[in-house]
Amino acid sequence: MAELKLTSARKSFGSIDVLHGIDLAVRDGEFVVFVGPSGCGKSTLLRLIAGLENVTSGEIHIDGERVTHLPASERGLAMVFQSYALYPHMSVRKNMGFALENMGLKPAEIEARVARAAAMLRLTDYLDRKPKALSGGQRQRVAIGRAIVRDPKIFLFDEPLSNLDAELRVATRKELASLHAGLGGTMIYVTHDQVEAMTLADRIVVLNAGRIEQVGTPLELYNRPANAFVAGFIGSPRMNFLPAVVVSDDGTLRLTVGEVEVALPRPASGLAAGASVTLGIRPEHIEIAPGDGMLAAKIDLLEQLGGETFVYATAPGLPQITLRQDGQSHFHRGDAVAIRFAPDHLHIFDAAGAALARP
Amino acid sequence: MSDTSSVSRPERGRGIGTLAELRSIVTLPVELGMRLFDPPMRWVQRMIGARRMAYVFLLPNFVFFGLFVFLPIGINIVFSVTGGTALFPSQRPYVGSDQFAYLFDCGSYLDPATCREDHFWRAVANTVKFVVLQVTAMVLLSLVTALVLNMRIRGRGFFRAVYFFPVLLSPVVVALIWKWILQRDGLLNAAITTLGGQKIIFFVDPSWAMFWAVFVSVWAHMGFYTLILLAGLQAIPADLYEAAEMDATPRWRVLTHITLPLLWPNMIVVIVLALIKGAQTFDEVFVLTGGGPGTATLMVVQYIYETGFSSQVQNFGLAAAASVVLGIVLFVLTLLQFAAARRKEI
Repeated sequence: MAELKLTSARKSFGSIDVLHGIDLAVRDGEFVVFVGPSGCGKSTLLRLIAGLENVTSGEIHIDGERVTHLPASERGLAMVFQSYALYPHMSVRKNMGFALENMGLKPAEIEARVARAAAMLRLTDYLDRKPKALSGGQRQRVAIGRAIVRDPKIFLFDEPLSNLDAELRVATRKELASLHAGLGGTMIYVTHDQVEAMTLADRIVVLNAGRIEQVGTPLELYNRPANAFVAGFIGSPRMNFLPAVVVSDDGTLRLTVGEVEVALPRPASGLAAGASVTLGIRPEHIEIAPGDGMLAAKIDLLEQLGGETFVYATAPGLPQITLRQDGQSHFHRGDAVAIRFAPDHLHIFDAAGAALARP
Repeated sequence: MSDTSSVSRPERGRGIGTLAELRSIVTLPVELGMRLFDPPMRWVQRMIGARRMAYVFLLPNFVFFGLFVFLPIGINIVFSVTGGTALFPSQRPYVGSDQFAYLFDCGSYLDPATCREDHFWRAVANTVKFVVLQVTAMVLLSLVTALVLNMRIRGRGFFRAVYFFPVLLSPVVVALIWKWILQRDGLLNAAITTLGGQKIIFFVDPSWAMFWAVFVSVWAHMGFYTLILLAGLQAIPADLYEAAEMDATPRWRVLTHITLPLLWPNMIVVIVLALIKGAQTFDEVFVLTGGGPGTATLMVVQYIYETGFSSQVQNFGLAAAASVVLGIVLFVLTLLQFAAARRKEI
């Protein structure tokens, strides 16, 4: 297993800059997830690490060794592809043993390694089948098995669950987590699904437009997002963003939100009166109060999921607000309610979207 | 303001009118045809029902095929079991399998000299030799060319066009071009003498004649087979090669363990198509060598043509029997191709 270090890694395709200087260190045995919207450069970053793409500039080190210009075949990494990329004409056994044959291992050693990985991934009964005779989940496990048998320095996963149905995705996600716990290998995982990122990662790297927005543990990102992008990307349903104007900032931050004034006790952060800010609040940190509250609102829609309810409400002068309530709600569409934000969970973002330090 | 609009309106109107007129002129025959056919087709549909109308629409094509394909096949079979020199089947006496017995009367099939109709067996031996050499060379060269043209090389589009270009030429044109190059005072001999060598009279040497017959045929058709293999190569997902790269697969192993096995279905199609085409070879070789020297490049189709139409005694029956034999061989090869096409899916 190994450490990875990226220094100012930049990638351009012609005149288009895809990655703008990535600096990142991945520790030995760590499970790091790259997450971000489509086109943010996360797969390209993974391919740079794999050696399937060349960096335009910058450095890549694995275990202190410079591998920036080494071909993929010499980096000692294994990759699980989104499409699985199983060799269709080879049996599962042959697929899993192919890289070992390339390494020149003896047939007995290959057989032993394949058998061990197959047992771990519950593939023993399928070793003589071709990929087309396997289900999506089984194919995915073969792809993972193909990586495991090689005992690579780092496992790379490129959206490996995106072709599976929802139920299988959850099951495979759990298997991956236990696999990481069992193998203890360094793993880098690319996904656009923030639930996968939150559940699997030791640390998450949030990418946007070819830049790292924030690196941190899942709960750091959830509780202390560095900016509005991370705040909006992590968490489902996404954080509510409400435009606000600073009235005063002198030990108590006074803001105009919609048609009401809100007072938040917090240390002065130098905001000028009249400055535009954005108030961020997660759906579970908003309460519906039958009587008085911060904002008067009207319920537009309720989504009753049984164990929880999502409420969509509108307050004058504000975009639609999403609330999450535990259990089943007794409110109805069209009800006039008062809503109250939990002050400890409010996030404030300046005009550029950067989060202001929280008390 | 009103003046302007009153000026512009008629112009726009004329433009639209012209387009509409053009459209109506183009669609007029179709509309007339539809109106003409509509009442009788409705009547037919009422008589036979909507489900059977498919056969009515198939009928014109079936008549065409029947007249120009199935009927000649039938006439050919009739000719193969009748004798004499008369042209009309009704005037030809029935001889059963005599023509076939005559064709197959051989001391040893491996030695044409022991056969009663030695020309036929020489043609068969030449055709087999031609097919084996031509198909082997064709498949190997097409494969190498396709592999190279699938790489990221400079001028790839140009080379793809260049290799395909001969396919567009008529076989007779191909043969005439190469005859001009290869004849006694042709381009190749001019080059050889310029370099201090002696002229080679290619078409009087049986080995050279067969070599050039194969070469010209490969040159003319290779582009087509290259195209099939290139399409097969491009259908191999790129991520398999990336997976092979991650698996540290040496390049020769990528070729032998990934590319060739995945290309195999296309290779089978190419081999069988080339076999069928090779067995029917006539025009290129006929124009290039005339089947000579002697019978060194006489092919089965040329034998059929000469026996039936260009010999002093036009032996239609024997030519027809040879056609039936060739037809059966081609039918078997076609079945092989269908089987290969069905197995194409991995």
